[in-house]
Amino acid sequence: MVARVARLPNWVAAVLPALLIAALVFGFVKLDPIGSLREVPPVEAIAFERTVLTEGHISLHVRNDGPDPVTIAQVMIDDAYWNHEIGDRTLGRLESTSIDADYPWAAGNPLSIGLVTSTGIVIQHNIEVASLSPSLDGSTLGIYALLGLYIGVIPIAVGLLWFPALRRASQKWLTFFLAFTVGLLVFLLVDTVSEGLDIANQTAAALNGLGVFFIGALLAVSGLAWLSSALDAQRKVTSGLLLAYLIASGIGLHNLGEGLAVGAALTSGEVALGTFLVVGFALHNTTEGLAIVAPLGAEEERPGLRHFVALGAIAGLPTILGAWAGGFAFSPVWGSFAFGIAAGAIAQVIWAISRSMRERAGSGAAVLGFCVGLVAMYATGLLA
Amino acid sequence: MGGVDRRSFLKRAGAAGALGGAALLGSRDIVSAQSMHDHMGHGGHGTVGTVDHVRNGFNPMELLTEFDEGEVSRDLSGRTVREYEFVTVNKDIEVAPGVFFPAWTYNGRVPGPTIRATEGDRLRIKLVNATEHPHSMHFHGFHIAGMDGVPGAGEVMPGESFVYEFDAEPFGTHLYHCHSLPLKQHIHRGLYGGFIVDPKKGRPDANEMVMVMNAFDTNFDGVNEVYAVNTIAFAYVNEPIPIRAGELQRAHVINITEFDPLNSIHLHANFFNLFRTGTSLTPHEFTDTISMGQAERHMIEFTYKDPGRFMFHAHQTEFVELGWMSFFEVS
Repeated sequence: MVARVARLPNWVAAVLPALLIAALVFGFVKLDPIGSLREVPPVEAIAFERTVLTEGHISLHVRNDGPDPVTIAQVMIDDAYWNHEIGDRTLGRLESTSIDADYPWAAGNPLSIGLVTSTGIVIQHNIEVASLSPSLDGSTLGIYALLGLYIGVIPIAVGLLWFPALRRASQKWLTFFLAFTVGLLVFLLVDTVSEGLDIANQTAAALNGLGVFFIGALLAVSGLAWLSSALDAQRKVTSGLLLAYLIASGIGLHNLGEGLAVGAALTSGEVALGTFLVVGFALHNTTEGLAIVAPLGAEEERPGLRHFVALGAIAGLPTILGAWAGGFAFSPVWGSFAFGIAAGAIAQVIWAISRSMRERAGSGAAVLGFCVGLVAMYATGLLA
Repeated sequence: MGGVDRRSFLKRAGAAGALGGAALLGSRDIVSAQSMHDHMGHGGHGTVGTVDHVRNGFNPMELLTEFDEGEVSRDLSGRTVREYEFVTVNKDIEVAPGVFFPAWTYNGRVPGPTIRATEGDRLRIKLVNATEHPHSMHFHGFHIAGMDGVPGAGEVMPGESFVYEFDAEPFGTHLYHCHSLPLKQHIHRGLYGGFIVDPKKGRPDANEMVMVMNAFDTNFDGVNEVYAVNTIAFAYVNEPIPIRAGELQRAHVINITEFDPLNSIHLHANFFNLFRTGTSLTPHEFTDTISMGQAERHMIEFTYKDPGRFMFHAHQTEFVELGWMSFFEVS
C-alpha cells in the first residue's frame, strides 16, 4: 500500500487528501446520517446589528446568526404588533435585512423591539434609553470630530509638551517615565482586551467575534514587529524615535477603538450625560502624550518639530476616525477586529519598550514608574 | 464614583462630548414629547400581511356566525336528539400573518365548533381522539358524574373514542373544553368551543355572533404573544364585521384566555344589555365594558343607530395591541 502511494505523481498525492475530505463532506450532507438527532424545532437566532432612531421612526439592521433559516413574520414594538417594512422576511444563515417602522418612541424611555418568527419565537432587543440617533450630516460629523479632538488629539498634544522637561531629566527619571509608559500601556491593554471581548460577545455568534478579535490582535503583533525590524534595519530613525513612533501607533490604534466605542454608544442611545466627564477623559489621555515622548528624553539630538506633529497625529487623530466609523458604520464584527488590532499593537509596543530597557528593568525607578503608570491611569479614570 | 468602569465612563464621556459640541455648534435638535405626538398619524399598531384562512381550514368571519345544530332526530318520547362527532387533531394554525402555532384542535379549528341546542334537547357527542395525547370534552352545564369529561370520567385515550350524553341545560351561553392534564397546556393549545343552549321560549330575533376571546403563547414562556376574538389577531380589523343599523345584535362572548386572569370587551359609541352567562331572559346590566375571568361568558345585546365604522376591543390595552382589536362596519 505504502509503496503504491509512493509511486503516485506528486500532485496527485497532494490533491488526494483534499478530494477525499470533499467526498466525505458530500456524502455526509447527502446521506444525513445524524438526521434523527435533529428532530427538534429549528434553532432561530437573530442578531440586531444596528438600530437607528430618528423622529418617529425606527430602523433596524438584523442578521440571522443561527444555523437554520429564520422567517421574521411580525414586529412587536413595546409589546405591540406594529406596521413595518422589511426587505426579506426569510433569512438564510448569515443573511441580513433591514426593518423600518414609524413609531412614536419617546426620548429618555426604554424601548423594546421583538421580532416574531414564523414559529412564534420572539427575539427581543432592548434599548435602555431611547435617544435620537445622529444623522450623517456636516454638523454631526463636526460634533463627532470635536469630540474626538477633545478626548484624543488635544490631551495627547498637551502631553507631548512634557518633552522639554524630560530633556533635562536625569537618567533615573527617564527610566521612571519609560516604566511609567509601560504601566500605562499595560492598563490600556487590559482595558482594550476587556472591551474588545465585550464587543466580540455582541457579534453574531456564527461570525465568531472572539476569533475576529484574536486575528486582529495577532495581525497587529506581527505587523508591528515586521515594521519595527524593517525600520531598524534601515537605520533611518534613532532607536528612541522608533520607540516613540511605536508607542504612538499603539496608542493611536487604542484610541481608534475608543472612538468607535464612543461613536457607537452615541448612535445606539446607550449614553448617559455629564460634561465634566470629558474633562476627566482629557486628563486621562494627557498621560498618553507623556508616554509617547518618554523614550525621547535620552536622545542625543532634539527631534524636529515635524516628528512631534506626526506623533500627536498618529496617536490622536484615530479617535476622530473611530468616532465617525463607530457612529455611522458600526458593526460588532468590525468593532471586534478594531479592538483586536489595538490590543495586539499595545502588546507589541509593551514588548518593544520592555526590551529597550531590559538592563534597567529591576531598578527602583523602573518598578516605581510602572506602578505609578498603572495607578495614574486608574486614578484619572476615577476623576471623571 | 468608585463603581465607574471604563466602558460606562467612555459612554458618558461620549455623550458629554456630543452635548459640548451641540452647545458650540448650536444645531442639534432635542426631541420633545410633542414632536413625537405629531408622528402618531404614521404607522400604527397591527400586523403586516394576511392570514391564509384556506390553509387554516377556517375563517374567523364564518366562525362568528356558524352554529352546529348536530344531526337532529327524535326519540320515542318525541324529544329532539342532537348527535355530533368531534375529532381531536394536531394542526399548525396561522394565528397572525406568518406566525404559526402548533395547535391542538377539535375538528381542525380553533375554537372548536359552536354547539347549539335548545333547553331540554338530548345531546350525544362522540369524541374521537386522533392525537398522541389523552383528551376530553368537559361541558359547562348539567350532567351526571360519568359524563364530566375529566381524567377518570370520559377521558379519551389516543386512538379511542367516547360518547358524552346529557340533556342541554340550563339555557345560556356556555362552553366546553378539554380537561386532560396538564390542564393549562390542553386549554391554551386550542381545545375549547362555544356551547349555546337556547331557552324553550326562544329569544327575540337578532343577528347572533359567537366571540371566543382567546390567546396564544407562541413561544411557550407562559406569556401570550397573540390575543384575539376567534383566534386570528386583528382579524376583524383587516375585515370588519358587517352589521346593519337598527338591527338587534346578540353576541355570545366567551373568555378562554389562559395565563391572564382577566379579559374584557368594550364597545365604542354604544352600550349593551348584559345577560350574565346568558341564563336570564332579562338583562342584568346596561354597560359598555365587561370584564371576565377564564370560562366566564356573557350574552350581550346592542343596536347601532347610525352607520359607520365602530371599534370594539379588550380594555386591557396590552391585549388590544397584541391582536384583540376589532371593528363593526355598520351600514
